[in-house]
Amino acid sequence: MTQQMMTQQNKVDLILDNMEKVIIGKREAIELSLLALLAEGHVLLEDVPGVGKTMLVRALAKSFDLEFKRIQFTPDLLPSDVTGVSIYNQKEMNFEFRPGPILGNIVLADEINRTSPKTQSALLESMEENHITVDGTTMELKRPFFVMATQNPIEYEGTYPLPEAQLDRFLLKLNLGYPSPEEEIQMLDRTSSEHPIERLGSVMHQDDLLSLQDEVKQIHVSDAIKKYIVYILNATRTHPLLELGASPRASISMMKAAKAYAYINKRDYVLPDDVKYLTKHVLGHRIIISSEAKFEGKTAASILDDIVRKTIVPIERG
Amino acid sequence: MQDLSQENKMISLVLYFGSMILLLEWIYPLGEVTDTGNMSVFFLYIVLCFILTASYLPVWVVSPVKFLGLLFVMDRLFYMAIPFISKDWFVQLFTDIKMNISMVISQNWLELTPSFRTILFLILLWMMSYLLYYWFAVRKKPFSFVLLTFIYLTVLDTFTVFDGSTAIIRAFIIGVAILGISYLQHILEKENVRTPVMTTLVKWVAPLVLVIGFSTVIGYAAPKFDPIWPDPVPFIQSAAENGFGDGPGNRVQKIGYGENDERLGGGFVQDDTRVFWVQAPKSQYWKVETKDTYTGKGWVRSDEGSFSESMGSIGAVGSYSELVETNEDEANIRFDNPGVLNKLTYAYGSNQVIPEASNMTFLVNSLTGEVIPRVDSEAKLPDAYQLNINRPFFPIDELRKIGENVLTQEDQAYLQLPESLPDRVIRLAEEITAEADNRYDKAKAIENYFSKNGFIYDTQNVAVPGEDEDYVDQFLFETQKGYCDNFSTSMVVMLRAVDIPARWAKGFTGGERVYNQDVFQGSQPEYEITNNNAHSWVEVYFPNVGWVPFEPTVGFSNPSNFVYGESIDDILEQEQQDLEMPEPQQPELPEDEQADEDDNGATGGIFSLSNPMKYTILGVGVLAIGLIVWLISRNRYNILGRWKRQRMARRKDVDTFTDGYQFILKVLAKNGLELKGGQTLREYASDVDRWYGGSDMSELTSYYERAIYRDESIENQHHEVYRLWNRLVNNLLS
Repeated sequence: MTQQMMTQQNKVDLILDNMEKVIIGKREAIELSLLALLAEGHVLLEDVPGVGKTMLVRALAKSFDLEFKRIQFTPDLLPSDVTGVSIYNQKEMNFEFRPGPILGNIVLADEINRTSPKTQSALLESMEENHITVDGTTMELKRPFFVMATQNPIEYEGTYPLPEAQLDRFLLKLNLGYPSPEEEIQMLDRTSSEHPIERLGSVMHQDDLLSLQDEVKQIHVSDAIKKYIVYILNATRTHPLLELGASPRASISMMKAAKAYAYINKRDYVLPDDVKYLTKHVLGHRIIISSEAKFEGKTAASILDDIVRKTIVPIERG
Repeated sequence: MQDLSQENKMISLVLYFGSMILLLEWIYPLGEVTDTGNMSVFFLYIVLCFILTASYLPVWVVSPVKFLGLLFVMDRLFYMAIPFISKDWFVQLFTDIKMNISMVISQNWLELTPSFRTILFLILLWMMSYLLYYWFAVRKKPFSFVLLTFIYLTVLDTFTVFDGSTAIIRAFIIGVAILGISYLQHILEKENVRTPVMTTLVKWVAPLVLVIGFSTVIGYAAPKFDPIWPDPVPFIQSAAENGFGDGPGNRVQKIGYGENDERLGGGFVQDDTRVFWVQAPKSQYWKVETKDTYTGKGWVRSDEGSFSESMGSIGAVGSYSELVETNEDEANIRFDNPGVLNKLTYAYGSNQVIPEASNMTFLVNSLTGEVIPRVDSEAKLPDAYQLNINRPFFPIDELRKIGENVLTQEDQAYLQLPESLPDRVIRLAEEITAEADNRYDKAKAIENYFSKNGFIYDTQNVAVPGEDEDYVDQFLFETQKGYCDNFSTSMVVMLRAVDIPARWAKGFTGGERVYNQDVFQGSQPEYEITNNNAHSWVEVYFPNVGWVPFEPTVGFSNPSNFVYGESIDDILEQEQQDLEMPEPQQPELPEDEQADEDDNGATGGIFSLSNPMKYTILGVGVLAIGLIVWLISRNRYNILGRWKRQRMARRKDVDTFTDGYQFILKVLAKNGLELKGGQTLREYASDVDRWYGGSDMSELTSYYERAIYRDESIENQHHEVYRLWNRLVNNLLS
């Protein structure tokens, strides 16, 4: 591990600490969302309203001094409301592009499953391809580009569930969950006069983030680890209680996530422990459990736990 | 999950009954190898024990039933006459046990009664049913027992008369089936497979049966080389003979009966020339004469006695008082090689000779025991003759009544010792007999002295005493190695040293039982006596009984009957049972002196030991192999560890490190800390460190992780890696 890398990694700690000033007691979620940012992936947050989803994204944006945009998805939202629209400028006598919120660095796509599939796919396609096409003009998205989408639990009224193919585009799916009573009291204390997000400063510039992202790509993944990833993925494809296993895209995502996780943990190589830990976050939204499993009260997480518990960890080279 | 345990239980039971069949294979050869009778009773008892253990009934039901079974077997075998479980029955059993325990305490192994040995054997079988249950159904590690069974059968087949060619096939089939099924069980447990019982079993067992059947048929039908080593026993003996050779100055004689015993000592070669055939109800010693004067080098007669003419009555050579119960036996003797002897040979208690030719008379010498047959005043040995014998059963309690210093005038001749006899012989005799307070126990103490003190039976390397040496002194204190003459002479001399009248008897041992020769008519067993059977032993005088034979030579046992309260009818009945045993399949056996012992069992009981020499070879062989296997398997990690340590110290590549690290995993697994399937090394290492304390495993693991997951070379860290590895291995193996 190079000296430069070491100093960069200390910055990772700074960011985590900085974000914890706003988000209390959610170290894991903070880490994972930073992980997704570093791995150039996107995060899907599934949770009830009011647990701090927006704060999490805003804190992330502020820490890196990034441009933060927010799209509130409603049933009547159109694709152009996401991507932007060209308007005829009578003074200039030409069409002028008014960029949509997707052209920010960090985009919060709130309640994504409340809008129509057409609008959903406009967002998801741009996430995958890193550019948008409006009126025949292709425009690159900004770098870094990071989407944090939230969705209400699918059982809620008036939702359009995201199809599997779309879900696959999110690197991670996170749950924030309610804070503990102590954490909640601490939160009340901090927000009594002014919300701390307003005073939160940046600890890194966006160029730094780009260099961190480049470093993450350099993290070493040995053949043994690749094997381990494939073993786990294969196990999801043959598991009797799973209707649909994880796709090959999931393997790539797993490797990217594991690299970033190793980086956050100050290692320049991936351990099986990284893969093991990330399995439930990376694969949880990419598999479909059978109705039999549902009937038995199993969840995707419990089945993945079971798979990880039984998959042999390669302990030799190659 | 219930399915699984149910299935598991069933497989365990299958394994357990497989182990029972293997155990039966262990017991089965005993019938041939050790003259153990009534094998079917033991088989039934084993089956009973196993079924009960497998029944999962509570212990308080199972144990009493097994115990009752044991008592029942004892009843059928030994106490049929007394009503089962009556008061008398128990009294009899307890008397038996009490007597035998006292024998055990006095280390009098050969005197243990058949009933007691049978009890011990049954208890052993009982315990085996538990042990095998633990091995097969609880620990699920059947391999060592299967392997031991193979070793046992092959050793028995090689070194004894037992023919294991079918037993090994049976053991192979059962053994491989057990291993296969046990492997299935391991897989089911490890993988948590949940399928219905029958499908798994059938799916697994069908190919297993095919494989076993195929390999058995191929193995059985395939052509095989003849053994390079058809029977190793003579090979080992000849190798030993050639290896040791005869030292210079050693006198080598041919074994056989000779008149002149003035100079004893020196080795001799074997000679299996037949001397005579015998037909008798029991194997016994065939006496020719006795001698009374020890010269320091050998035996002579100082009193030739007097001969009296007889028409056939020879009671004078040795009759017993009315205290000795007798049984009327009849024996037939036919000479095959008349040149060897010029005197008659007879059993203890013989009172009448009926020669084939009617014009024969006999000269009987009551002092020396010689019986010289004559025709027309000329010595002539008959071709055959019949003996009427009142076979004596010496009462031990009467023999014990003769205390110390009971001497009469006539005894003086039998207390003679040469002037030159070294004092240390006398001191030794006094020491050996110090604790006994009667003549019988003193004699027994001297008789047993040799076997207890490691004296060796040897016919080749036997010293001849020099001019200034005493034959007995040399044997007792210097060589401690010799044959019957050494032992019997020494015993007589030591008896005389403590004032017990004794004399030296000569003749033949009971010989080897032969089948299907039909030398004689009638159904009594027949024996062949060769020059190899020439023997000498000891007679001790008891004023209230007469001259009683003793047998000090190690490896031989006294064929005469001694009774201690038991009924003669029981003993005779037992003898009868033994005679009815089927004829063993006797392959060509090397003739050796020890083969005499075949039918010489002292008690003739259901469990009499025979063939002590072969038995010893067998026992030592099995023990040695077992010990080596045990030692290696027990120390395999230490042995491996030493080797791996050298490699680890020398080589710095990742492969060596991998090998060394995985060795630690194996040792840990042996210690019960196994790396589970889904566990990462880091999790495992912290478990290990939590268990043993310290952080060596985690530190070593972090190096290992870098080598495996970072593809890093460990050359620069080798010193530290080796230090951690070495410390861990030392701690784990200590």
